[in-house]
Amino acid sequence: MNMSRIHIDARKHRPGFDLDVNLDLPKSGVTVVLGASGSGKTTLLRLIAGLEKPDSGHIKVGNAVWADTDARICRPPQQRRVGMVFQDYALFPHMTVAANVGFGLPRAGREALVADWLRRLHLQEQAQRYPHQLSGGQSQRVALARALATEPDLLLLDEPFSALDTDLRRHLRDQLLEVVADLQQPVLMVTHDLEEARYLANNIGVMVAGRVRRFGPTREVFDDPQTVEVARAMGWRNLLPVHIIEQTTVRGRWGSITLEREPDIDTAWLAIRPEHLRPVTQEVDGLDASVARITELGSIREVLCRLPDGTQLQLHRPWNEPVPAAGSRLRLQVPLQHIRLLSEGLPFGGAHPAKATKGESDAKNSPPKDVSTNP
Amino acid sequence: MTGMVETASLDMTPLWITLQVAALTVVLLLIFGAPIAWWLANTRSRYKVAIEAVTALPLVLPPTVLGFYLLLVMGANGAAGQFWTSLTGHPLAFSFAGLVVASCVYSLPFVVQPLQAAFESLDKRSVEAAWTLGAARARTFVQIVIPQIRRGLLTAIVLGFAHTLGEFGVILMVGGNIPGETQVVSIAIYEQVETLNYAHAHKLSAGLLLFSFLVLLLVYGVNRRWHTELKI
Repeated sequence: MNMSRIHIDARKHRPGFDLDVNLDLPKSGVTVVLGASGSGKTTLLRLIAGLEKPDSGHIKVGNAVWADTDARICRPPQQRRVGMVFQDYALFPHMTVAANVGFGLPRAGREALVADWLRRLHLQEQAQRYPHQLSGGQSQRVALARALATEPDLLLLDEPFSALDTDLRRHLRDQLLEVVADLQQPVLMVTHDLEEARYLANNIGVMVAGRVRRFGPTREVFDDPQTVEVARAMGWRNLLPVHIIEQTTVRGRWGSITLEREPDIDTAWLAIRPEHLRPVTQEVDGLDASVARITELGSIREVLCRLPDGTQLQLHRPWNEPVPAAGSRLRLQVPLQHIRLLSEGLPFGGAHPAKATKGESDAKNSPPKDVSTNP
Repeated sequence: MTGMVETASLDMTPLWITLQVAALTVVLLLIFGAPIAWWLANTRSRYKVAIEAVTALPLVLPPTVLGFYLLLVMGANGAAGQFWTSLTGHPLAFSFAGLVVASCVYSLPFVVQPLQAAFESLDKRSVEAAWTLGAARARTFVQIVIPQIRRGLLTAIVLGFAHTLGEFGVILMVGGNIPGETQVVSIAIYEQVETLNYAHAHKLSAGLLLFSFLVLLLVYGVNRRWHTELKI
């Protein structure tokens, strides 16, 4: 297949909700758009599939224009070479598995192609069954086979695991990855599940309130969310607001941390993963905190700490490592290489809580009240 | 009226006319009622409630009221009547065609409501899935929609047919009682009873009863088979 990139630039207005997406998908591999429910993920897929019309924008797949509002083009789903796996699979309940898979195929050669796809997805034994006789995993494979049999230029997956229970998910993730790895076509999947996204995606887009706020290789996006709204969407729980930047030192009501180099002036938050925080003795630099609650999570232990101003930090430690009991005080070491500096990420600069542009003298004259100074 | 004497052999024409009216009415209602039902099932328009109320009106209006207004519209001075006359040269009221038109209005909710319920419970995703698989709208309707709504469809056909079979008041108002043209079985029975010709009334009634029972038997049988065959 000679495919160039897939370009999506679409806007759609709904009461109380605006979708505004600009995405360039690579010509192969799995792209996952991650977002909370209601962030517009499904609408994005429906726009691409042609089930909804964009208010404005264009969608190009290779050389084919699927939609271009300027040229008044909006092809119906039938004329887009798109495969879609719906959230609940939307199998045809009155047709056998074989008939479902063959529905999108021309009569000539249908049987052979259906047999081929049933074999590829290990569904030969279910060929004459009806959807209500299938397990969740089998239903998912039928939906995949049905969509892939038409040889689409783009495969869309809408929360493909949400209809399944947790144990099955893990198993089916492997299976899906296996199928998808063989594909020539690019795959665009939407989900709210971080783990799924991390496991399946080559590239990841983070959707917040109808916009893709961050897009990049999965590892990069997971490692550094860059803005606080993306960090929140990606489950970063330890976020410290930065009120003052003083050369390499950042301060907030929670205390202060001296970084290795001067942060960007739009740094508004610090983020750190729970597994990177470490309880240390009083001689080492760190943040003073008290233990609020300890939760056993199997192989790890979650320690909820409270800083003097009430800000909460989560710590993940191995289950067999001793930790201070709830109510006791401890000092938290924050390894500098694991700190991520985040900007506010809002389009309006005025929303920043405080900026270093105020100047140093300002900061010196009126330091925040509750700053606990480090030794 | 016809001056038929008691000894005359029973004329089964009314039964035949009734079946024709009922069958035609159901066919026409499926053609015109299905789009209405589809729209009602899917629209978010604020006019939905109004249209729903209008289609349900024949349920609550006394047949004489409905028949009276239909007579006004379909009469020689009514809009529909004049239109029909300009088209065919014949009056609409007190004709077989008029009977069918009136029956369509009278039985509208009995076809539209089951269809609307069926369309509402239809999985829209399966329709959209068919589209993304390249199926045109017509093919999708025939191969995906109809099989999934077949129970609702059957209910609509049976209710529409049965309700038309039993209509009396509306037909009396707009169709009159012209033997061989607009005299349907319910009116024929009424007339036989009025003239104390119980034997003929009995035969017509029993015929209608038996026919209705057989139809319902068939329908419930088919429905049951569908139900056990597929859990849809």
